[in-house]
Amino acid sequence: MIDGMLARLREIVGASGVERDPSGLPRVVPDSTEAMARLFALAHGRNWRARIEGQGTWLSSDAPADFAVSTRGLDRVVSVSPADLVATVDAGVAMGTLRRRLADDGMWLAIDPPGRPERSIGSIVAAGTAGPLRQGFGPVRDHVLGLSVVTGDGRVVRAGGRVVKNVAGYDLGKLQIGGFGGFGVITELNLRLRALPRADQTLIARASRDHLTSVGRDLTEARLALQALELFSPAIAAEPDWILAARIMGTEDGVAAEARRLTSASSLLWQQLPVERASSFWHLSARAVLGGAVTLRLGVLQPGLDDSLDMLAATLDEGLITAGAGSAGGIRWSGEARIDALRALRRTAASREIPMTLERAPWAIRQQLGHFGAYREGVGALVSRLRETFDPGLLLSVALEGDGDAR
Amino acid sequence: MPGSTDPRFAALDPCVHCGFCLPACPTYLATGDEADSPRGRIVLMRALERGEIGAADPALTQHIDACLGCRGCEPACPSGVGYGQGLEAAREILAERRGIAPAARAILTVFSNRLFWRTLLTAAGWFRATGLPARWASGTRLGFGMGMLASTRRHRVPRSFPGFHMPHSAPTVALFRGCVMDTVFRHVNEATRRVLEANGYRVVDINGQGCCGALHEHAGDRKGAESLARQNVKAFGGRANYIVVNSAGCGALLKQYGHLLGTRDGEHFGSRVRDVSELLAAKGPRQGGPLPLDVVYDAPCHLQHAQKVQAEPLAVLNAIPGLRLRLLPGSDKCCGSAGIYSTLHPDMARAVLDDKIRGIAAASPAPRVVTTGNPGCHMHIGAGLRAAGLHATVLHPVELLDESYRVGGLYSRQQ
Amino acid sequence: MKESLLTGLAAIVGPRWVRHRRAELATYTMDGLPTHESWPGVVVIPGSRHELIDVMKALHASKTPFVARGAGTGLSGGALAEGNAVLVALTRLNHILSVDPASRRAVVEPGVVNARLSEAVLPYGLQYVPDPSSQTACTIGGNVAENAGGPHCLKAGVTTNHVTDLEIILPDGSLARLGSTHGDAWGPDLVGLFVGSEGMFGIACSITVRLEPIPPAVRTMLADFPGIRAASEAVSAIIASGIVPAALEMMDQSCVQAVEASIYAAGYPTDAAAVLLVELDGQPEGVAAEHAVVEPLLRAHGARHVLTAESAADRARLWQGRKKAFGAMGRIAPDLVVQDAVVPRSALPDVLDRISEIRDRYALHISNVFHAGDGNLHPNISFDRRNLELASRVREASREIMTVCVAAGGSITGEHGVGNDKLDYMPLIFDAETLGAMQATRRVFDPGERANPGKVVPIHACREWCASPAARGNGRQQHGSLAEVAHD
Repeated sequence: MIDGMLARLREIVGASGVERDPSGLPRVVPDSTEAMARLFALAHGRNWRARIEGQGTWLSSDAPADFAVSTRGLDRVVSVSPADLVATVDAGVAMGTLRRRLADDGMWLAIDPPGRPERSIGSIVAAGTAGPLRQGFGPVRDHVLGLSVVTGDGRVVRAGGRVVKNVAGYDLGKLQIGGFGGFGVITELNLRLRALPRADQTLIARASRDHLTSVGRDLTEARLALQALELFSPAIAAEPDWILAARIMGTEDGVAAEARRLTSASSLLWQQLPVERASSFWHLSARAVLGGAVTLRLGVLQPGLDDSLDMLAATLDEGLITAGAGSAGGIRWSGEARIDALRALRRTAASREIPMTLERAPWAIRQQLGHFGAYREGVGALVSRLRETFDPGLLLSVALEGDGDAR
Repeated sequence: MPGSTDPRFAALDPCVHCGFCLPACPTYLATGDEADSPRGRIVLMRALERGEIGAADPALTQHIDACLGCRGCEPACPSGVGYGQGLEAAREILAERRGIAPAARAILTVFSNRLFWRTLLTAAGWFRATGLPARWASGTRLGFGMGMLASTRRHRVPRSFPGFHMPHSAPTVALFRGCVMDTVFRHVNEATRRVLEANGYRVVDINGQGCCGALHEHAGDRKGAESLARQNVKAFGGRANYIVVNSAGCGALLKQYGHLLGTRDGEHFGSRVRDVSELLAAKGPRQGGPLPLDVVYDAPCHLQHAQKVQAEPLAVLNAIPGLRLRLLPGSDKCCGSAGIYSTLHPDMARAVLDDKIRGIAAASPAPRVVTTGNPGCHMHIGAGLRAAGLHATVLHPVELLDESYRVGGLYSRQQ
Repeated sequence: MKESLLTGLAAIVGPRWVRHRRAELATYTMDGLPTHESWPGVVVIPGSRHELIDVMKALHASKTPFVARGAGTGLSGGALAEGNAVLVALTRLNHILSVDPASRRAVVEPGVVNARLSEAVLPYGLQYVPDPSSQTACTIGGNVAENAGGPHCLKAGVTTNHVTDLEIILPDGSLARLGSTHGDAWGPDLVGLFVGSEGMFGIACSITVRLEPIPPAVRTMLADFPGIRAASEAVSAIIASGIVPAALEMMDQSCVQAVEASIYAAGYPTDAAAVLLVELDGQPEGVAAEHAVVEPLLRAHGARHVLTAESAADRARLWQGRKKAFGAMGRIAPDLVVQDAVVPRSALPDVLDRISEIRDRYALHISNVFHAGDGNLHPNISFDRRNLELASRVREASREIMTVCVAAGGSITGEHGVGNDKLDYMPLIFDAETLGAMQATRRVFDPGERANPGKVVPIHACREWCASPAARGNGRQQHGSLAEVAHD
């Protein structure tokens, strides 16, 4: 049976595009949107269940499936247009590769997602995982102008476009951004770029958690223009104290003035990091999130930050935590946790109107908990009908909702 | 919009249906119904013009009738649509085809005849003097009427003044006394005379003048308006450099007598008409004594939109030292009085007024005085304040200036 | 059926707020698109959320199609209803339900006027950023339906970037609460999907938006140019410099002259071929530094004068002119086609040249007023529709302009929406499979296809999404060509 399957797969992507994963599962590596579409049309016809993989650095490759499909073969930076501030890239391109390629043209993509530089852009978009820069540049969805996706039954949908402003038709791309692959496999993206800032400064300060969150409130009230204002737990920073890190970008004069304003607006002792150290600080903190087997995020705004951090400490632990101390808010936690503790957290959070999203975890947890849960009124029915629309055979092995995790 | 065939509606041609007029319309803000918006009414006027909707169709007439005629939409229109001209044409057609409503007809008949209105309004003045209207003022329909009458009350009786010495070169002005102004607001007319003389105008009396005809014209009774206009043109003749008026609603029509009558006499009359604030502002006006009061100004539509007189009343009020003058959000919006509109459409008039009263109630510090230069607005806002239990008083800007002059001693010594 | 529906609706909202006779419907036959007119079957104007829900249930029970309408300022005919459809006007649902300055959120009903929200939060030093030019009249509900933009969306993003939470009434009368007030969502981004769905997924009855602090420093520059090409090259140069202005707007001479003749005259030089409005905002030092970069760029690209407005009153005057420009077009001719297309910013100079060429070839009066910073063009074609030959030239020229923009890699609408005006252009930028996906997504929210029927997705151009893959065969999907664009 497996030989017949391999043969059919090779017909579509060629012999070199099919391999076996460590468990012996066939893994297909298509190199184009069209090949991906043919693959899923075939799988749909045969009722083969598929697991989606990127570079394999974020979500563990453990979802049950008849075959795996990797976006690794979709590795082209198709075009970079500095004059239009747009790039078209394949979904399998690693964030680090893309960053270097864009810098050659004096451009950058203003996101700093958690994970390693090898993580694919498709994974970042599918999971909607933004980093500290969401304070200044918004969530991942704000950086995607258009995308191509292959649905569970092998159709190609091309949503959005290559221009910054576009309201033609329904905004189908939004369903895919942060959809965890439940509505298809993203194969290509049109990304909104920015010119590299003339100046980019990072300042950090150390103090107790409560002190730092209250400084965050003061700075927000003082309306400082910070591109990031992120709180890091001692475990993330590998230091005895909590750390508040601010990032300021813009013109030299503007950045210098804002840094002065920052240091005078709070009683903290701010330390300005040299360029090299700043860069490694942000990279290391992004990677530190991989320290636990489970990563989750809480949608919480600044006024609820203290309470939510307490709730997290009480339900799970005060280990690997990053939190938006500015107006954007948001908390990310990473560590080891049992299912019932995670379920309790989701329930408590929901009672405070705070959504908890499971970003990464072993399949056993994902399956029971789901990336999402505690849907609000009317949403569950819409989501399941959307899944049936974009994956009619429900063959994409993605656990959007868990078992029995009702609000 | 497709162009017009009836020249009277040509002023509506530039409408491109952008909708920017909607938030400028008090009735749309009160109802949220586009048929009660300028853009919606333009569509209806066009349908009337083309004969697609009959003049007797209440679906059309109720919305045209419900227009305050405040013309607040005109300054909001980027294309310069002549809404007021279109409305006038539509109301004329309606009046021709279905006649004028009996209630309106009754009111207009009273104002067409000097003896009638004089008797009625003088009696109202006596009734006011009993103090009963003030006591009975409330939010009910009758109580609101009582509040309107009570709010015309004069608040301080100035002592007699010695008169100013006038050089021979002083410009002469003839006071248009009006009907309501000459009876229940007689004290405003007296104050007008005093402040004009204090600013170097020689005020002359004209006999034989009557109602201006504005109420008739608004209701589509063009003949009634023309007849009153002819009477006034004849009475004033060529005397005086200016014809001064302190009622914005009257002033708007008086300035249009040329257009109304189509005669040179009418034109000559109209060109000499000035709102009292225009004449005062032209002279500065003279500063008076201090009045440390919190005052909000409310611009009458017929002054700011129809006559385009906007800065002058503020100049008058700014001549009063110590006056803490404010404009509230919406002080440029119609109050809902609009001539006899508040009598014919009391519910809509109240709905429009409520927004303004809410604004005054929310203002901090609480205003002591609301000032406006039109008798209809004066009474309507005054009754609304009473109904809402607010303690602010309504005064004409000239009354404030007059009081300031009294306090400042301008009237106590020979000038 | 109709009689019982009318009775039912009148029982819900009161007879005064149900309109069905022809004269009563007249004012609801058009929206801001002056060239389209259609007669709804009934107009109903609910006065509360509760009434709206009951109206939706009654419409569902009688399987009646419906169209939601705000202030009717839309420019794609999206708020027009025809045949037996019921027009649901939301203008009476105009309450700001709550403002939370600490979390920077406000919750509003759909009929709240855009500019009123910003006025209401001004005391907190906050603002609602998306500012469509019709903001003094248009409603937030309409902004959500159309994903409205505006001059200040260049830096801060359009409506979809500012809505966090929606309570919607689905066409079957049931409720769904999408998104979350607290930033992240409870599930997939259904708010993102709903915003811009042009009233075809249901009606939003409560909308939570993000508020932003008012920037401490703002500078608005007015630059005038002897040629349109020079002005558009200055735009490209500013974008390439890495500075993202708060707004970057262009007006050509025809537009400037119309504005300057209006009550909103802003002091734009009427002899200039084009003027640019550039606004910088942020902290004072940053703004000053950006100003020091932008001003020489403007001059280097041929600006004759660069005037900087510092006072709030001067800035307001400069902006009034720009924002009322569309409304001032009535000064040129009684009828108007407002086009809305987006092109990559580097293509601006060439596309504007092509539009001038099309204008000359068809002998038309075209005024350009647009969001240059994001390549969002608005050619306004003035005409008189009583001249049938002229009207047909306008149609031909519109289509050619759209083709030029699509060929340059652009889109057929940047902020006005598809409505029924752009329906025929949709196959120019979306293949049949993607159009099919849109149609299928719509059916998730509205299986009966009763919400705003006949808009956005040209059904004839869709690939069917209900059939099994086997039935789909191997036919390759094709992008639409101009030849396929239906003629009107």
